[in-house]
Amino acid sequence: MGTGATELNRKSRAAAARSRSASKWRIAWRNRDYYVLLIPGLLFLLLFKYTPLYGVLIAFQDFNIFDGIRGSEWVGLEQFHKLVRSEEFGQVFMNTLLISVYKIVLLFPVPILIALVLNEVRLMFFKRTIQTIIYLPHFLSWVIISGLFVTILSTSGGLVNNIIQWFGGEPVSFFVSNQYFRSLVVFTAGWKEVGWNAIVFIAAIAGIDQEQYEAASIDGAGRIRRMLHISLPGILPTVVLMFILRLGSVLDAGTEQILTMYNPVVYETADVIGTFVYRIGLGKMDYSFSTAVGLFNSVVGFILIVSGNYISRKLLKRGIW
Amino acid sequence: MTKRTKGDLLLDTGVYLFLIALGMIMLLPLASVFSKSVSEEWAITSGKVGILPVGFQLDTLMRVISSSMFIRAFCISAGVTLIGTLISILMTALTAYPLSKRNLPGISFCMVLFIFTMLFSGGLIPNYLLMRQLHLVDNLWVLILPGMISVFNMLVIKSYYESLPEALEESARIDGAKTYTILFRIILPLSMPVIATIALFYAVGYWNDYFGPMIYINDTALKTLQLYLQDVVMDANSANLTNKSIDDLMNMSPEGIRAATVVASTVPILLVYPFMQKYFIKGVLIGSVKG
Repeated sequence: MGTGATELNRKSRAAAARSRSASKWRIAWRNRDYYVLLIPGLLFLLLFKYTPLYGVLIAFQDFNIFDGIRGSEWVGLEQFHKLVRSEEFGQVFMNTLLISVYKIVLLFPVPILIALVLNEVRLMFFKRTIQTIIYLPHFLSWVIISGLFVTILSTSGGLVNNIIQWFGGEPVSFFVSNQYFRSLVVFTAGWKEVGWNAIVFIAAIAGIDQEQYEAASIDGAGRIRRMLHISLPGILPTVVLMFILRLGSVLDAGTEQILTMYNPVVYETADVIGTFVYRIGLGKMDYSFSTAVGLFNSVVGFILIVSGNYISRKLLKRGIW
Repeated sequence: MTKRTKGDLLLDTGVYLFLIALGMIMLLPLASVFSKSVSEEWAITSGKVGILPVGFQLDTLMRVISSSMFIRAFCISAGVTLIGTLISILMTALTAYPLSKRNLPGISFCMVLFIFTMLFSGGLIPNYLLMRQLHLVDNLWVLILPGMISVFNMLVIKSYYESLPEALEESARIDGAKTYTILFRIILPLSMPVIATIALFYAVGYWNDYFGPMIYINDTALKTLQLYLQDVVMDANSANLTNKSIDDLMNMSPEGIRAATVVASTVPILLVYPFMQKYFIKGVLIGSVKG
């Protein structure tokens, strides 16, 4: 009886599979309107997102713009050897990591602190005003922010240098100082985004069950203890998720930001992978080498993001996809 | 009854001081640059302007706004922002719709195609070479076409569509409505809050974009506002480089001009900011809370 049943099962399964694949087409045909809606989006992807992936081939060539990809000479991994040997790239890679790690260590905790502190404010008017103010910089462009900071850090009558001089110090040219430039990059990045980045944590705190707070206060927990033992653990999963995502983009130290702020004097400390690709590729027209650097960046970034997401799915049962 | 303990008082004081300090740090650079843009020139050149304006004049601002370079750059940015936002929001809202039908054959594969582009890209040079081949360099369309759809924004809209009750569509279908009718008459109108939020993000993105124009626009007649602003800001900066005070080189204060240009380019954002505020918080929540 056992064999007969499996035989029957196998037959009906095969038939079901056949009719399933046929019905798949039928379902698709019946819903063709949906696929028509997809066409513009797919064409966009093909032209502007997938065609450049074919262009990545020039990283393996000695690309000449007149000969194109088909006519240029193939050189295998030579560009990557050049990359590994290049002292300049080593410097750029270190700058990228340093700036990025400073940004994570110094700036990542701030939005969490802001969210916890805002949650303790009972005056709605005050809370709203502060929120309005701290979200605002997010909407200003990097060029405007560079302009703002050039103005207040100017050596001729800028706010900060005036204060330094009041205290008897020497004025500092922050924008042309290899000593201070990285701090400037980290500080302005914080100025722009810490308030905005707090939104996620504010939302997470709002999602915590209010009964927990009531229970804790009946048990005699003060506000500080409620903050540390309810609010903080309550947003911990969000914190971990945001942290993993942040680590995934560690090779992006803020290309647009640095491009609007730096100048040849501070290349030594400020040149990051993104700005380096731009300088070498479009400035010096070394297309192949620059593409190799870009490809290196893309591959490492891809691995970081995919593994970050994997970890977060294992750890928290949620990820970005 | 909750009684206020010493610890509570300490906490409250700390909370308010921290937030006031934070607010001040955010506002000071803005206040300082605004003051410089409306202060008298002698006060700027002698370094007397701190947080508050010294004297009051609108000449510098007027001179900046009425310069033909500024007007042209402003109009180009406004045009790119307007047209770009319209195209982007239309493309994004329409593409998100079929992708929200997870059960359709082939749809999950299309999703993979979209998401992959978020994670991996060809990089700067292949993109630049493609734009050259398409004759889009020094063409304002280059600022719009390659960024028509932001996959992240599309995912936000898609998850909003998925949150709408399915019964809505079913009953419309029973009444004889076809896919497009359902989309345009039911789904899109119901999704206006999220669409408005995303439109806002696109608009801010187009208006603030610096990298795109810097790479693809060399023609001075096509400079966007951000490019023009960067010229003004960094001009004064390069004077710093040579350690020569630029005041010796020109008879009007470049500090004042720079501050006024920054203020004039910031005003549009500051004007719409209060109106957009009620939208963006909602939008961010929709985007971030999804697991």
